[in-house]
Amino acid sequence: MSNERLCPEHYLLRLRAAEFPPTLAGQFVQLQCRRLGEQDPAREVPWPAAGPPRLTQAELAGREPFLRRPFSLAGRRDTPAGVELDLIYRTVGTGTHWLAEVVRPGQRLSVLGPLGNGFAVRADKPRAALIGGGVGIPPMIYLAETLARAGKQSVAFHGARTAALLPVAVAGDAVSPAGRPTPCVEPFARADVPSVVATDDGSLGFAGMVSRAFESWLDAERLDPSSLAVYSCGPEPMMRAVAELCLTRGIDCQLCMERHMACGMGTCQSCVVKIRDDTPQGWSFKLCCTDGPVFEAGRIVWA
Amino acid sequence: MKSEIDLSVEIAGVKLANPLMTASGTCGYADEYADFVDLRQLGAFVTKSITRQPRAGNEYPRVVETRAGMLNAIGLANVGLERFVAEKVPLLEALGLPVFVNVAGTTIDDYVAVAQALRDVKIVRGLELNISCPNVKAGGIQFGVDPEQVTRITREIKSVAGKNILIVKLSPNVTDIAQTAQATVEGGADALSLINTFTAMAIDVEKRRPILGNVTGGLSGPAIRPVAVHMVHRVYTRVAKPAGVPIIGMGGIQYAHDALEFLLAGATGLAVGTALFVNPACLVSIRDGIADYLARHGCRSVREIIGALETA
Repeated sequence: MSNERLCPEHYLLRLRAAEFPPTLAGQFVQLQCRRLGEQDPAREVPWPAAGPPRLTQAELAGREPFLRRPFSLAGRRDTPAGVELDLIYRTVGTGTHWLAEVVRPGQRLSVLGPLGNGFAVRADKPRAALIGGGVGIPPMIYLAETLARAGKQSVAFHGARTAALLPVAVAGDAVSPAGRPTPCVEPFARADVPSVVATDDGSLGFAGMVSRAFESWLDAERLDPSSLAVYSCGPEPMMRAVAELCLTRGIDCQLCMERHMACGMGTCQSCVVKIRDDTPQGWSFKLCCTDGPVFEAGRIVWA
Repeated sequence: MKSEIDLSVEIAGVKLANPLMTASGTCGYADEYADFVDLRQLGAFVTKSITRQPRAGNEYPRVVETRAGMLNAIGLANVGLERFVAEKVPLLEALGLPVFVNVAGTTIDDYVAVAQALRDVKIVRGLELNISCPNVKAGGIQFGVDPEQVTRITREIKSVAGKNILIVKLSPNVTDIAQTAQATVEGGADALSLINTFTAMAIDVEKRRPILGNVTGGLSGPAIRPVAVHMVHRVYTRVAKPAGVPIIGMGGIQYAHDALEFLLAGATGLAVGTALFVNPACLVSIRDGIADYLARHGCRSVREIIGALETA
């Protein structure tokens, strides 16, 4: 449907499918970052009766990746015209640069999913904190909507290296430099979720790591830790800081992990995460794709 | 699908409805792909490597994409023999296909233990010997690259395989793959599968470090297909055809065109691996594409084109 630039590094890709299975915030899809259909019949039809497949120039130039790329869901809408899926991606490698440069409205893409397990909304926790860093913010948009529907009182925390790299629309003058939650981030404000923005360089909102912004909010609120559930996705140092803070304060915390993966379906065994258990060595490898990507924070063994 | 086309083949007495199978390690134990493809459309199912004891596998990162392919260094992560028989065999029985179990180990005793345990499992029709990864207890020579070792291990496993046919999976990391193929035939192999992955590396030049946790990995995918086709052709003409031993060909198969190359080069069976990570349903479109090709060329059976390459 659309593929628009949100900031120098992030794009919002809106897809529409005639139908799509039910999805949860925290789940992901595997997207094929290459042309389909008329431009390249050899790739998707069984065997062209006319003759052998021909390689396209794009493939010869090596600009289209072979494997799919995983993207978390940033939102889903069921409309009379079909199911709309939002993916927000950051241009980091061959696949995402291809998406940014080539994909235009009307183009068909191959989507595999939904994959993985979503966040488990804690029925016993009336309050929620959503902590997203960089490209970990998109699944928080979807989760904010889910939590709003479940009647939870949520606050969202968004971290980025610098203001220009936030993958969401921010009303800059509404952001509190002191880290107080305000309705300053549009997709969250829509779900009645106020936001705190933190930037590492202090260019917008709270100056410092988003985990620090969350900690000072926690200290100011003085709420009962047993009433709060924390959901987080972002770079590992950030999630680790969030996890350790929650552990210290006795707060329930779920993390959405990111791993390089080939299949996303549990067969290639490549996307391993070390998870604490009662085996002699104290941990086992679990698969980010089918056992996760959402894990309980306290069970993750950090690298 | 053209119903009058006969796609059935036979691998050392095991009848397959069509030549297509899964390549070991790319299809788990069949339940993982249940939502994405009907595996009953295949000729046979090849499991992930099974070892005597469970294996956790290597440190992350375990895969990296390279141009037209990928490197993997999973480290034979698997549930181990005991859990395989208890938990995975019932799933495979439900599939109703002949199953070939890929067997790996670090000592000959390990291989023998797994082979003996699978002798009486009905759904298992064959063992695929993975002698491309592990090291021998003494000396640390790779089983798969020393012809004498290859003959010895093949003979030992064959003697305990019982009803199961013995397929030996060959490593391409040798000077002459026909020589290793000959060694397995001398050891009594019923079939050959080739090729396994190429030992390879990818480097993060900024950090000056290998990308994979294991430093090296195995290269697979479309990038290796032309080499694999050549190796199948070489082994077919020099060893397999004269000895009457069938080949299961693999290495970068993604489309029917690719599968047909392997058939013409001399493969009786075909395994699809890395392409399943992108699209598990490609197995069915490859099968149908082969049938279309046969119809177009006036063939009634896929067996008419096995090794039908004309080089004169």
